[in-house]
Amino acid sequence: MSKTIKNYVDGQWLESGSDRLIPVQDPATCELLAHCPDSTSADVDAAVSAAREAFNEWRSTPVLVRAQYMHHFKVMVEDNFEEISRIVVREHGKTMDEARGEVRRGVESIDFAMSVPVLMRSDGLEDISSGIDETTVRQPAGVFAAITPFNFPFMVPLWFLPTAITCGNTFILKPSPQTPLSTEYLFEMLDELDLPEGVVNLVNGGVPSATALMEHPDVTGVSFVGSSPVAKIIYETCTRNGKRVQAQGGAKNYIAVMPDANIEASVSNILGAAYGCAGQRCLAAAVAVGVGDAYDQLKDELAKRVASLKVGYGLDETTQMGTVISDSAKERIESMIGQSEGEGADVVVDGRDFSVDGYERGSWVGPTLIADVQPDTTMANEEVFGPVLSLMKADSFDEAVDIINQSRYGNAASIFTNNGKHAREFKYSVNAGNIGVNIGVAAPSASFPFGGQKDSFFGDLHGQGMDSIEFYTERKIVIERWV
Amino acid sequence: MASLNTFGAILSHAIELEAQLSDWYTRLGEAAKARAADKRRKKLERVRRENVVEITLEPIEGLNAGHYALDLNDESAAGQAAVAQLAARFYADVAPKINVRAAQRALERCGREHSA
Repeated sequence: MSKTIKNYVDGQWLESGSDRLIPVQDPATCELLAHCPDSTSADVDAAVSAAREAFNEWRSTPVLVRAQYMHHFKVMVEDNFEEISRIVVREHGKTMDEARGEVRRGVESIDFAMSVPVLMRSDGLEDISSGIDETTVRQPAGVFAAITPFNFPFMVPLWFLPTAITCGNTFILKPSPQTPLSTEYLFEMLDELDLPEGVVNLVNGGVPSATALMEHPDVTGVSFVGSSPVAKIIYETCTRNGKRVQAQGGAKNYIAVMPDANIEASVSNILGAAYGCAGQRCLAAAVAVGVGDAYDQLKDELAKRVASLKVGYGLDETTQMGTVISDSAKERIESMIGQSEGEGADVVVDGRDFSVDGYERGSWVGPTLIADVQPDTTMANEEVFGPVLSLMKADSFDEAVDIINQSRYGNAASIFTNNGKHAREFKYSVNAGNIGVNIGVAAPSASFPFGGQKDSFFGDLHGQGMDSIEFYTERKIVIERWV
Repeated sequence: MASLNTFGAILSHAIELEAQLSDWYTRLGEAAKARAADKRRKKLERVRRENVVEITLEPIEGLNAGHYALDLNDESAAGQAAVAQLAARFYADVAPKINVRAAQRALERCGREHSA
């Protein structure tokens, strides 16, 4: 009998009031790991109420004390690093290295939160008029929530929670119901920290709890990471309800490969960028544009190496690519591969009907390489969110940039080149929020904002970096005169 | 024979190798060598944890765990020298395959310690 995950509200583990349970499966073994409750608006009310009650005491807790909690939190994550990574592998299907990498990036976000005492400082000016001084102070803004995706179940919550609470806010997390186990573990660690009750709260579930959070009058702001159609809904719902919102959406990330690039080294990096996490990341390389002679070299080298990637269960250290999240994801991805074939593309390495010995029931899609993709087709425009890399050809650098800028998405784009002029021109003219030069996954570290433009981001302030300090604080201007 | 085809596979193999050596040296009464192996194991666990850079994870080719299986049955001086030599060769072979300099440096240092 698998366990049913509980919510964490006001410092206590509570059963949801919902009788609807969502099964949580290991996507490789199909083992039922747990049930996730589809929490109700009453569950959300309880969490928001606890967070609101906790706010005044927490905001007046000295910021150095709040930061000190993060030091202890980091130690706990480091001490349990391997255990957390294994949980991520089991609930998501990614490889151990990918899970470790995810946990590491989560730790970076905790590190960043430790610098809040410096980053929350503001400025002032004496004598703006005779005997009058003016200063700015940053204050925490209230109760914040985050709605986070399945693909980085441990890392993405940490983009938000540590900074939000170290700034003095209280917090509610609603993780993906497909991967609630690593966040349950995260909250077990937070519980050990002995934070005041109500500072951090966990509500598990799907659309009903997400909607309740977005519509709740006592929630100040919402962070979201997920697909673009949902990000747009989140943005519209939150703004309609007068909230701050940062909604990070989907992507179609292009990589330009120039003829002067080191093809072998570029392909090594592109393999990780395209097939890491089985392509289920918003920064995954989706289309490689080979410029001039680079196209054929790229195609040949990729064809050789894609086919030799070892696909398997993530807990096996030698696995280089794991499963996709579910059978429905597998069906959708395979259908898109079929569609691209129908549109005239050449499926060079076909990952459909893939199976792994010993794990035949798993949600496998093998690494797939599709060549001769044309600009107006499915693979050039639609997000696959699976292990599929498409190849397009451009005759010149300018044509490659035009192809990339035609995408309605703008999450990331990369160039592989040894030519500084092309690199500079790429950084300057490509409309994407994260640019990579000889890096396939242009993922910003925690002290930089996570960029995103066009349909990849809805909002004004991005997650991470100074943007997150702005998002989680209110600036107050004080003008003083003492006579 | 397991392929050492990922960052984790290499680091985990190194950690396991040092754990085996620590046990072995303890059994042989070589307390200092056992402590040194245990220290390396702990360091490699930290290196695995801290240097797994998600954005630069790349497949690794050309390494096989079978080539570095230690023969711990020969406890003679010559046997011990052969074990240390094989461990040093392992680190010399794997360090260049890792694309994170801090991890590479740690592996190189382990190799040097086995060669000393």
